[in-house]
Parts: sequence; C-alpha cells; structure tokens
Amino acid sequence: MKHFPALIAALALTASPALADLAHAVDDYILPGYAAFADTTAALSDAAADSCEPDTLKSDWNAAFDAWMGVSHLRFGPVEDEGRSVIIAFWPDAKGMTPKGLSRLIADEDPIVKDPKAFKDVSVAARGLFALEFLLYDDQFDATAPYTCDLVRAVTADLADIAGKVSDAWKDGYAETLRTAGAPGNTTYLTREEGLQVLYTNLVAGLEFTANERLGRPLGTFDSPRPNRAEARRSERSLRNVTLSINALQNLTDTLVDAPLPATDAAFAAAASTAAELNDPTFDMVSDVSDRLKVEILQQKVKAAEVAVLSEVGPALGVSKGFNAGDGD
Amino acid sequence: MTRLFLASLATTALTACPALAVEKSEVIGTYADIAAAKYADSLTTAQALDAAIKALIATPSEQTMADARTAWIAARIPYMQTEVYRFGNPIVDDWEGKVNAWPLDEGLIDYVDAAYGGATDENAYAALNVIANPSFTLSGQTVDASEITPDLLENSLQEADAVEANVATGYHAIEFLLWGQDLNGTDAGAGTRSWTDYAAGDDCTNANCDRRGDYLNAASDLLLSDLEWMVAQWAPEGDARTALTSDENAGLTAILTGMGSLSYGELAGQRMKLGVLLNDPEEEHDCFSDNTQWSHYYDALGIQQAYLGEYTRLDGTKIHGASLSDLVGEVNAPADAELRDDLDATMVEMTQIVDATKDGMAYDMMLARGNDTGEELVMSAVDALVVQTRAIERVVTALDLGGITLEGSDSLDDPNAVFQ
Repeated sequence: MKHFPALIAALALTASPALADLAHAVDDYILPGYAAFADTTAALSDAAADSCEPDTLKSDWNAAFDAWMGVSHLRFGPVEDEGRSVIIAFWPDAKGMTPKGLSRLIADEDPIVKDPKAFKDVSVAARGLFALEFLLYDDQFDATAPYTCDLVRAVTADLADIAGKVSDAWKDGYAETLRTAGAPGNTTYLTREEGLQVLYTNLVAGLEFTANERLGRPLGTFDSPRPNRAEARRSERSLRNVTLSINALQNLTDTLVDAPLPATDAAFAAAASTAAELNDPTFDMVSDVSDRLKVEILQQKVKAAEVAVLSEVGPALGVSKGFNAGDGD
Repeated sequence: MTRLFLASLATTALTACPALAVEKSEVIGTYADIAAAKYADSLTTAQALDAAIKALIATPSEQTMADARTAWIAARIPYMQTEVYRFGNPIVDDWEGKVNAWPLDEGLIDYVDAAYGGATDENAYAALNVIANPSFTLSGQTVDASEITPDLLENSLQEADAVEANVATGYHAIEFLLWGQDLNGTDAGAGTRSWTDYAAGDDCTNANCDRRGDYLNAASDLLLSDLEWMVAQWAPEGDARTALTSDENAGLTAILTGMGSLSYGELAGQRMKLGVLLNDPEEEHDCFSDNTQWSHYYDALGIQQAYLGEYTRLDGTKIHGASLSDLVGEVNAPADAELRDDLDATMVEMTQIVDATKDGMAYDMMLARGNDTGEELVMSAVDALVVQTRAIERVVTALDLGGITLEGSDSLDDPNAVFQ
C-alpha cells in the first residue's frame, strides 16, 4: 500500500521525458520572449526620453505590446513578483481606473513622476502598457504637454525597468529552476511534473483568457453587445492581440510537447485562420446582428483549441491543470 | 504509446488501491455536514439581522441603526466560512451571486456622493438610484418601481443590463444601506449613513426614507429565502450533497477545487493583491462597513476547515469528522504535513492583518500609496495563499483522482476515455 504512490511516480518519470521538453520551452520560447519584451520596452523608454510626440512613440509602443503578447499568458515566476504582470497590463479595467488615475496625476501635477523609485508606489492603473495607450491615443490626454510628457517618460522607464528585471531574473536563475524541476535540491518544483504542470496550466488559462475576456467582453450578450470593452481598442489592437495570443500559445505548445498533436495543431490553425478573416481591428462588428456571428465563431474556435489542448496535451505531458489567476469570479 | 501508458497506470491504480482506513465517502460526508451547519448558522444570523432591520425600519434611531450594523457584522462570520464551497460546487456557485456579489456600483440603489460620477462606459445604470425613482427605463423597457419588492430586486435590478456591477441583492446591498459610502478614501473610517435616512416625516434625510426602508426590507427578505434554499441543498437528500456523493473522486476534486480557487484566483488575486496594487479602498471586499479584515480571515479559516474536516458552530458545538487531511496523510504524509503547515501559516498572516486593524491601521489604510507596512501585511498574506495553493495542487496529485482537469471538463467529448 505504501509503495503505491512511489510506483506511480516511477512510471511517470520514465514516461514523460519522451513526450515533454521543458528545456526546449524555457530556452527557445520563454527566455527569448522575455528578452524581446525587455529590448522593446527599453527602446520605447529611450524614444520617450527623446520625444513625447505620440506619432513618434506609437511604433515603439506597438512593438513592446507585440512582444508582451508573446509572454503575457505566463503568470508565474518573476513576472508575478511585486505584482509585475498586473502593472505591465492592467486590463480589464471595468471601473475606468486607468483614465481616472492618469487624470488625477496630471491635475495634481504630482511630482512623483520625477522620482523613479517613488513612482513604484503609483497605482497600477496609471502604469504599464494600457496607461501609455491612453496617453498616446486618447484625445483627453496631450502627451506633449510638459507634465504629461514627464508622465509618459516615467511610465515608459518604469515599464522598461520591470521588463528588464523579469528577463534578468529568468536568465539569472528562474530558467534553471524550471529546467531542473524535480532535481534534488529544487524546492520550487519538487517533481518534473510540477514544472510541466505550471506551463500547461498557463497554456490553458491563456486560451481561456482570450476566449472569455479578449473576445467575451466585447461580445457581451446578443441584446447588449459591448464594443467599448474590447481590449486596446484605442490603438486598434483588439484583433491583433487575439491573433498574437493564439500564435504565442501554439508556439508554447510546440516547444513544450514532443509528440504528435493532430487535434491541437488543427484547432490552433482553425482559430488563426478564422482570426485572419476578420477585417475589424476593434470588433465593432459585435453590434451588428449578423456580423457578430463571426466574432462568436472565432470565440468558439479558441474554445475548441482549449478543448483540444485539454484532451491531447494534458495526457501527453501526464499532468492535470493546476489553479490559475482566472479561477475566481 | 500515451494511451497504453495511461491505461496501464489506471489498471495499476485500480488493483493497487486497497481499502484505506479513511473512506472517501466519509470525507465527503464530513464536508457536506459542515456545509449544512455553516449555511444553517448563516441563516440563523441572517434571521437576527432581519429582525434588527425590521426594528430599524419600525423605530428608526441611533440605537436600532447600530444594532442592525452589529447584526450584519455577526451574519458575515458564518457566511464567509462557507465561501470555500463556492467554486467546487456548481449549485453554490450559480447561486452565490444573489447573496454576495461584489464589487457593486452602489449608485444603482441609492444616492451617492458627487465624486462617484454618473453612468460609465461599462454601466449605463451605475447611478440609476432606484430608491429615488419609482419609474425608469432599463435596457429599453419601462420598469415600474413604485413598489419596491423582492421580485423587483431579484428579477429586474440584479445584474440589470447584463452588468455584473449592478448588484441589487445580498449582503453588500444591505451593507450599503446600513453604512452608506465610505468617503474616507485610504484613511480610517467606514460609511457614516445616519439613522435619519430611515426616519419618518420631516426627520427624513436624503429623501425617500420610506422607499429606502422598503428596499432594505426586501433585500433582507431575499437574503433569508436564498439562504433557506441553500440550507435545503445540503440536507440529507439535498442536491448539493448528492452531487458530491454520486462520484467520490469527483466529490474530492470539488473540495480541492473550492479550496484552490478561493485561495488563489479569488482571495489572493482579486480581493487582496489588486487592492494593494490599485491603492483603491473600493477594492475592499466589505468596503462600506470596513469589515474586510474579518471577511478575509473567515474565508481563509473556511479553507482550513474544509481540509481538516472541522467547524465550530455558533452555539459552540464542534463538528469534526473524517477529513481530506486524514486521507492524504495515508497516501502521502509529507504532502499532508506541508498543506497543514501552509494553512496554519496563512491563518497567522490573516491574524496579523486583523491585529493591525485593532491597533489602529484600518484595512483601507493598508492600501494607501506609500504605506509599506500595510502593503507588507497584505502581500504576506497573499504570498501565504499562493504557497498553500501549490500545496493543494500537490495534494491533488497525491490523491490521483483520475481527472485530467480540475474543472470545466464538461466541455470535453470524453476526457476519461483514455483512462478506461
């Protein structure tokens, strides 16, 4: 009786390395993903130091957001320290706290923007990619006004600092922690399966987030569509973020699993091609009685990809889904 | 290859699993008995709250207002300990929004401070003010609110316009009507609604005192009927209980799903970490009454009780039966010890938050920009909840409950086919 769990563990250890490649996922997916996010946010911060002209900064901001979409669904490790993932991308913002927080700083001309260390105490709603989206794209803000320009610089510098810290923490230790899951002395991941499980959990949670939030929020209900709730609609990135998230989650799957995944591959491809056929960057079409069906179909395709992952990837890795940040309300 | 491996594993499991000293059915039985006791205690305290509310409405005074508030605080104690039943039991989760939905756009219900603002992008009815308006239009329909009834609250206002922040019923609607908005920001202090908001004639403040009383009364009646319904679900033949016992492994998974989802996504994430990161006192779970430290404390205590199979009732009766901890201890003693230690550590952190509020640092103040001590208090509890979540995942693995997913596997064609 006492030998029973040990037996399972032994079987699992011999079986999973053939199907899973933790090191491949770490070295060829996670590390380059965070490095790209660090590089693009550093470039954005440098550009803002030169000019706060929105037309100059938008391409750098978009490059940083693109890089973030490559890793946004990884909600464990260094990016969860000090609330970093929430600071980087505070969305959804159901109470409109981002514009309120920014307006308050600007109205008060709060000197905190001049002190990078103190700026870490500012509400997450007025920091990160979505705060910058308001500052660069929304008419209520003028990024070139003197105080607002200081604010743009503070937010970009803070973002670059956070991105650099996350990338460094992975390079300088956390990558090894995950690679060596289950090795003697690894107190974070007691078994190899725990290392696989955290990536698998984040993969599934990423698909759920795209289906339920990125697509579900603007869809609303048939009687009450909510185009104003689309993610990053001011910069017209709503559809782009869905597309990039599907690509990123497929890349994660491909690097993690060393086994044929016919259903998963087909489901990701179907979701990507459905997204490619939509010609509406902000999902305004959800308000159109017939066109909204196309967005609903895309949502179904993303959910189908989740089903495929649950039925194919989980068994291939020999793990079940753990808890994730989306488990609450 | 994969299928063969899993199939052989399953066979091994079936043959190698002799009778344990603790039966899974007993563990589920304890869990359901405790649920029945907790919801019964929630009902008892809600009945006391209802009596206090009726006294306030009948004879408004400083004293009856204070009594009603005291009764509300007392009613929260058993209810918060039930929250661990939420995410694992669809019967509870589908119902929960009626009694504990949060956060709310309270301007739907009653007058608010000018700083609250009006309708928002997200919610066209954020400042509807039903108490002041006997008739209004909701999603294109004219609503007759000349009489404020439980039916109006439940069927017209709750989640009106498919907006979750339109909370018309439950503990937090009642809390708002007893305390009013907390306008102290991240300073100490709760809402300061005067008893005269319920006074008759010329003594009435903020107008519509009769309608305010009708609203409060209707919300209290609904809370009672909703809790009565939930008590019945956990009776010997109740649906919530039979749903757990029909498949024992699924029943144990439900217990662990409730523990993990409340620990991590809900309590650590939504309710605690976000408030600190936003510096926003409205992110307090019990923001009107400033009771948040206790609601977090009893949430965490409920998680511990679900694992240890114990609960002390309002009257002091102790329930203690076969527990998940007993079961896990038999198959993987280190995993059991780790989780028990982690649950203890979380309670230490929660107690520190409660103690700090007793020493003068209100939960609002902990969320203030630059309050490093407050941030440390809250984030330490968040970290402890995250650690205990990892231990819960290890327990799930140790019990080998046979499912691929912890939740939501209904949408799969037949996820268990590979195990058969």
